Amino acid sequence: MRRLLLLVLLPLLSLLSTSASAATLVVDVRDARGAAVTEAVVYALPVGRQFPPASRTAVMDQKNRTFIPHVLAIQTGTAVRFPNSDDIRHQVYSFSSAKTFQLPLYKGTPANPVRFDKSGVVSLGCNIHDRMSAYIVIVDTPHFAVTKNGRTEIASVGAGRYALHVWYPEMKDAPPPVALTLAATDTKALTVTVRK
Amino acid sequence: MPRASARVLIACLAFASTAGADDALQWSGFALLRASNGVESGPLREEKASAQVQVGIDWSPSPFVGAHLHLLARDDDAGARRGTFGIPEAYVDASFVPAGGRLRLRAGAFFLPTSRENVDALWETAYTITPSALNSWLGEEFRPIGIDASYTRRGLMAGATIYRGNDTFGAVPPARGWSLRDHWATLGEWIPVDPEYFTSVSAENDDRLGWSARGAWNGANALVQLTHIDNRADGLAYGRLFNWGTRFDILSGEYTAGDWTIAAEAGWGPTFLIVEGEKFTNDLQTGYVLVSRLFAHGRAAVRADAFSVDDNDRQALTVAYLWTPPGHFRPGIELATSGGEHRAIIELRYSFAGR
Repeated sequence: MRRLLLLVLLPLLSLLSTSASAATLVVDVRDARGAAVTEAVVYALPVGRQFPPASRTAVMDQKNRTFIPHVLAIQTGTAVRFPNSDDIRHQVYSFSSAKTFQLPLYKGTPANPVRFDKSGVVSLGCNIHDRMSAYIVIVDTPHFAVTKNGRTEIASVGAGRYALHVWYPEMKDAPPPVALTLAATDTKALTVTVRK
Repeated sequence: MPRASARVLIACLAFASTAGADDALQWSGFALLRASNGVESGPLREEKASAQVQVGIDWSPSPFVGAHLHLLARDDDAGARRGTFGIPEAYVDASFVPAGGRLRLRAGAFFLPTSRENVDALWETAYTITPSALNSWLGEEFRPIGIDASYTRRGLMAGATIYRGNDTFGAVPPARGWSLRDHWATLGEWIPVDPEYFTSVSAENDDRLGWSARGAWNGANALVQLTHIDNRADGLAYGRLFNWGTRFDILSGEYTAGDWTIAAEAGWGPTFLIVEGEKFTNDLQTGYVLVSRLFAHGRAAVRADAFSVDDNDRQALTVAYLWTPPGHFRPGIELATSGGEHRAIIELRYSFAGR
């Protein structure tokens, strides 16, 4: 009975201790004129340590000849499903070195998701519809988010040192990473200015 | 089948055959049955019953190279020679990624990528059963057989095409009149334009190459494209094929917002022929505006068409609903009216695919 109790309580205690020692980052991404940069990916890479690859699944949908979302951020190791919710066929491809792949011409959902096991930016297109484009940003950390109206929040970041990076579509020069030292229960707000 | 078309077909089949039973080879298409109230002439001309099967065979061993073969069979050849079975498209295609953009090269016979409504695979319209007057004409009379190159970077695209064939491009609107129907010409097919003459996308009578150039701006939800086409035909008669010298411009645009799409195209330009040393020129003009809404299991569309040869104007209004329940079948209904004539079409389409 005691063993069973321990089995139930230990994970719960561990969960509580994680959230109790987790910081929150609130990040504003602005261009040089102060305008909000939407669909920017903000991610915190740990300094001196690594996270194991994720085993999650994410979704990049296609509807009315539009990839949804336009920018999808995932952790390295994540598998992405590419359902086609359109009434016409699509043929998704990527020429990017982070993941070069092509799905056959299809409707509905292809049988196997695509696993992204290398960090980088994957630019997606459709061979039938040149107009369609989207990005998958693969990062070596579970601490990432995409801005909406220039702002986003990354919750549950463990205490420690991080380098905060920003990427956005059509970025010419990556802004220098911001060094951060987070203590447990910190809520840190910062603004990153990028060149557009 | 003319030698050039046969060469394109053989090259594509040889290319595709190297794929064997590999995953890179796939086929997809549809079979359809159509019934209408039957319109004997004019822009809404349509048989009371018709059937079609179209299949696309694609070989793509990597995202950078591929080959496409499009086969078509239909019960109604509309009086054409070699019109019941054939090849609308056969090409090989390669992509490169220089300077952060995409350079796409295509060689063979292909639809020029201008249409804002024929956006599905096999150049099918996603919105209605029959396409606009502009795309009905391009599908019936224009099929570049040559080389196309396009470069896309940061939402801007520039493309150019050099092609053989299409010497008779421009015959249908002045000789037979504009129409709203999906009779895609196949390579080597001769389509009648009047009791004596035919038009053929494979017609290369004067050995003069045609050309086309296009440029587009592509935003997140919008696109604007301008295309110029010049078949450089000499305007002379060659047996039962009459060369029409046609220069045509197409301005097109589309905007999507959620489930809604607005698409429009306008095309204009002169076409001429020379009879007994005298040059006769006609001005062609056509355009449409289309509004469509995508539903969970269907799509509704309304399209307004206008078309003219010189000052002979005409309009058409088309309303369609395509029901797309889960599975392979797609029933559809389309109602069209033009100049006091009315047409109703119901269609049952079955889609298939395999590897």
